[in-house]
Amino acid sequence: MASEKRSRRSGEAGPETSHTYPYKILVVDDEPDLQPLILQRMRRPIRAGKYVFTFAQNGVEALQKLNAEPDIDMVVSDINMPQMDGLTLLEQIPSVNPNIRSVIISAYGDMQNIRTAMNRGAFDFVTKPLDFKDLRHTIARTLRNLVEWREALASRDQLVVLQNELDVASKIQQSILPTEFPQHDNYGIHASMEPARNVGGDFYDILMLERDHVGLAIADVSDKGVPASLFMMSSRTLLKGTAIGLPQPGDVLSDVNDLLYEENETAMFVTVFYAVYSPMTGEMTYANGGHNPPLLIHADGSSEFVPQIGGIALGIAQGIPFPQKTLTLERGDTLLLYTDGVTEAMNAESEEFGVERLQTIFRDTPPTSAQATNDAVFAAVHAFAGDTPQSDDITCLSISRV
Amino acid sequence: MEINTERTDGVLVINAEGRIDGSNSAQFLESIQAVVSDDDNGVVLDFGGINYISSAGLRVILLLAKELRQKQTGFGVCSLSSSVKEIFTISGFDQIIAIFDSGADAVSSLK
Repeated sequence: MASEKRSRRSGEAGPETSHTYPYKILVVDDEPDLQPLILQRMRRPIRAGKYVFTFAQNGVEALQKLNAEPDIDMVVSDINMPQMDGLTLLEQIPSVNPNIRSVIISAYGDMQNIRTAMNRGAFDFVTKPLDFKDLRHTIARTLRNLVEWREALASRDQLVVLQNELDVASKIQQSILPTEFPQHDNYGIHASMEPARNVGGDFYDILMLERDHVGLAIADVSDKGVPASLFMMSSRTLLKGTAIGLPQPGDVLSDVNDLLYEENETAMFVTVFYAVYSPMTGEMTYANGGHNPPLLIHADGSSEFVPQIGGIALGIAQGIPFPQKTLTLERGDTLLLYTDGVTEAMNAESEEFGVERLQTIFRDTPPTSAQATNDAVFAAVHAFAGDTPQSDDITCLSISRV
Repeated sequence: MEINTERTDGVLVINAEGRIDGSNSAQFLESIQAVVSDDDNGVVLDFGGINYISSAGLRVILLLAKELRQKQTGFGVCSLSSSVKEIFTISGFDQIIAIFDSGADAVSSLK
């Protein structure tokens, strides 16, 4: 019996794609002889468990069936029927179940009705008198299309889920960044990040250390996406944990570098500028792990970039020293830390914002506060980029000595 | 991203043009890995036609450097534009990747 089934099935092209057999097919015709005829002529796929047929006499009955049996996969319908004809039924089907495929049975050569049916969403048609070989092929082809359609829908849903996960990762990234900043008689601090559409890897941190010292960090992880954001989170955690125990910025970056290097299979790296500020003296001791040099802006609007002192992006090489240096913020000075999302922002002509434009912002309008400094940078970058999409996170952290 | 290659004295010189950023860095790495042979004494990326490299692009260079170091194959970059050179300097990559002025310099050093 089993071999008989196989040999009989081999000649028919079935939908052959993953689906829980059987497919359920609703046949709608007012001709009472059709039901036994279908069951007789389609007995092979029925016996093989591929198809189950259910029947209705007219459109009204068909809609009742479709409502009652949501597992119906396709409809094969006559056109001329009492109460509700096949063409009206076609119009109604999508509101009951939009993912059903319909095949219409028309009189031979009745192109007008066939065209109307196709325009109303029929997938295909067969003609009377029914050629059952053709009907079997048409059913199989229709169901294959239905399966592909369902798989496409499932892929789309998965994409939506993935996009939601990315959005979650992006929100987590932002939610771990401090949004409240220490306010002090002697200084003000403000930081802000505008994330790019992809999950990026910028972060900043502000750490209250011993003896009223303040740790300031800004960082940019290579690459984007979820792996970069995980690397960013572990970088931030390691930096925070290390900075609280070590007073010297060079030692902090050296330790974090070795910790990141140990577990870095993917050759990601993070550029970090880390400084410890002493509010009493205005002294700022910093080390730089391959990050863009911050801009020191004076009360008169003049500015210069913090001197490069060596240092390599973190996670690349083991056991390397990070030199450190001390500069002094005078009263009225602001130190602007930023990521390359600022200097590499592009306009429609593919020009970069660049470091010179950054200095120009403050030449005539010196910063009045840390927040005003960041706001001015974001405003200038937005004005420069116009409608050109942002491709990288843009992050600024400023400290002003009052 | 299109790359062109030539071998001189057993050194594979790879020319690339345009930008290397997050949108093409994975493809850039794959096309390089496809042309590097175990017989190469050295591999040089000629960046004469590259006007921008993002951190994602730097990561590709780091991955290549690691792979080639394991095979004990020499590696370097050459003909950096001033803006690309600045990115190498700021990130500290100039301290871990050999940088040559020209392809000829790189070949004579790595052959």
